[in-house]
Amino acid sequence: MCVGLSAKVVAVNKDMALVDASGARREVSAELLDDLEPGDYVMVHAGVAIARITPEDAGE
Amino acid sequence: MSSAVDILRNYSGRKLRIMEVCGTHTHEIFRLGIRSLLSENIELVSGPGCPVCVTPPGFIDSAIELATRHKAIITTFGDLIRVPGSNSSLAGVRKDGAVVKAVYSPLDALDIARSNPDQEVVFLAVGFETTTPSACIAVKKAREENLKNFSILTANKTMPQAYKALQGSADAFLYPGHVHAIIGTGLCEDLTREGVSGVVAGFTAELLVKALSMIVEMSQSGVPFFANAYSSIVKSQGNLAAQKLIADMMQPCDCVWRGLGEIKQSGMALKDEFAGFDAVKKFKLVPGEGRTNPGCRCGEVLRGNCKPCDCPLFGKVCDPLHPVGACMVSGEGACSAFYQYAR
Amino acid sequence: MEEFITLSHGAGGRQTADLIGNIFKKHFANKDFTPDDAAVLDLESKKIAFSTDGFIVSPWQFAGGNIGKLSICGTVNDLACMGAKPKYLTCAMVIEEGFKVTDLEAIAASMAATAAEAGVNIVAGDTKVAGKGQVDGIFITTTGVGEIMDGVRTSGALAQVGDAVIVTGDVGRHGCTILLERDEFGIEADVTSDCAPLNQTVEALLLESKDIHVIRDATRGGVGTVLYEICDQSQVGIKLNSEAIPVDDAVKGVCGMLGLEPLYLACEGRLVIFAPQSVAGKLLEVLHRMPYSQNAAIIGEVTSEIGKVIVEHSFGGKTILPQPTGELLPRIC
Repeated sequence: MCVGLSAKVVAVNKDMALVDASGARREVSAELLDDLEPGDYVMVHAGVAIARITPEDAGE
Repeated sequence: MSSAVDILRNYSGRKLRIMEVCGTHTHEIFRLGIRSLLSENIELVSGPGCPVCVTPPGFIDSAIELATRHKAIITTFGDLIRVPGSNSSLAGVRKDGAVVKAVYSPLDALDIARSNPDQEVVFLAVGFETTTPSACIAVKKAREENLKNFSILTANKTMPQAYKALQGSADAFLYPGHVHAIIGTGLCEDLTREGVSGVVAGFTAELLVKALSMIVEMSQSGVPFFANAYSSIVKSQGNLAAQKLIADMMQPCDCVWRGLGEIKQSGMALKDEFAGFDAVKKFKLVPGEGRTNPGCRCGEVLRGNCKPCDCPLFGKVCDPLHPVGACMVSGEGACSAFYQYAR
Repeated sequence: MEEFITLSHGAGGRQTADLIGNIFKKHFANKDFTPDDAAVLDLESKKIAFSTDGFIVSPWQFAGGNIGKLSICGTVNDLACMGAKPKYLTCAMVIEEGFKVTDLEAIAASMAATAAEAGVNIVAGDTKVAGKGQVDGIFITTTGVGEIMDGVRTSGALAQVGDAVIVTGDVGRHGCTILLERDEFGIEADVTSDCAPLNQTVEALLLESKDIHVIRDATRGGVGTVLYEICDQSQVGIKLNSEAIPVDDAVKGVCGMLGLEPLYLACEGRLVIFAPQSVAGKLLEVLHRMPYSQNAAIIGEVTSEIGKVIVEHSFGGKTILPQPTGELLPRIC
């Protein structure tokens, strides 16, 4: 039910974040995760970052 | 990973029935050919976790009414477009001029509403706990911006009641990783106490093989078990901000699942204070149950009681080009996956 | 002042003549381009390949090309796949009223440049103008003939069990480019269309070895569709090595977001080649020397399981490649 994609946060602007998944970039909602910063890895679903991923696990 | 593969290949214990609850799991398991690794004593059955598949025909009928009678722009996740309602599908009415757009996110539906201020835009909100927050965020933003032409038609569902309804259909559940990323794992631990076993799984080959091999190993003890094999994403408390957002904006309601019938309190609808964004209230719709083809056995497929190929319609009148039942429509649907990969 | 195509440009009078003179004659100029009703041409070979293809694409220009370049590459590549050296092309255009004259000129210039690169002459053409809304910008149809090279016989029906399956570059770039250009999903990525004329690539391959059974260009439907076509035509099966299929990282990212399969995204500059294992390595070396096939790879081999395309993953998983149905819809939930 839940196609997700891990992506790297490139920029954060208020409640939105620009994320990059191997070169594909898109704005997603950052409102479900506190204090996102560029460089963080997140799981994205339907245009919303739903979970933070620790960097060493980003390859999962 | 090879040792986990060996566990799946060489298992020779009693017959083990594992239900993958999540449609994306079904899809990835087929796409990656993981079934080809399983010993014949391991049976995988596909559960009701494809939101497209469990969306009843009455919901599609309501969406069609919005598109045709109310001339609303319908925005939706792609796979819902071909789901049959009672008489037609959204793809079917698109031929007659209805405007139906596939979007990646409900936030994109909001963009469409902003750039078409003179037209009503309705987003079809299907999905489980993973997807529900995205619809809430869209409604919240619409309210902040005072966007009057945006609303959602909800068919959001929650998993806990479904797990209970499915209790006994399998020896263990492969729990949907992204649902539990939102709701946490407390529920799974509670279910263990009720005798329900399962492991939370991620979506790559490695994570799926790992979770399945854990189920095989943990089944040996004979006592109910739970483990989280996707701990990089799934935390025990889940995503608290998402839980709060849903609780603030939505409330549980009774809900019809295609194939499973009505499950009490298993749906989510917008609270009254958001009535202006609820398409049912805004357009005074009277959702009906809709009609399905009486020969279709999607319901039993969803409960894991029959395989897609046991259905009399499968591959004869029902195939991915001409889906009769919803399980054939979505790429995640058990029948579609079975038709494309396993025949 | 900005000039636009009007219905009178298609009426056959003075304005039509001006349009042909100022744009098509100017750009397509070559000794065979005819002012008569039909071009009269010389061919040396007794055996010719003859093909036609229509092009509609929205938007008409995209990263890596435009509909003009596409219309030349498409027919040139179709001819090359049969082992022919493309010689002459004709083109027929249907232009929407209101199309910018400067855009039409850009398309013509790009057709001329691509034809020159491929070494073909555009020898005849036709221009029609359709009312506003009757076509989407511009539709182009090209037809071409080419001379079959001596001793060459390729056909989709000739794949043999054991043949290596080669793809001449990373898959799905054109389809992904168009998807991004339409900007329906808010995704950005640096992806350019693979659109390219491949006749020189084919010539170099056939110079290395004439023992090539099938050459097919993957277009709409992508490489996946070609694989099933060949299985059907040759009554064979195919086994693919999932990890060997070249896919650009950004294309992977876009497909990951939308739940799409790169093997089913359109290509416009990729060949799928079936040849005996004994020559496959040498063909790959040739491909790596040519400009449009630097990441060519052997992706699988032909099996005797008729009609089945099987994907094998390195961890041991094995499955059937699903056939696409209907329009590609992003799969999100």
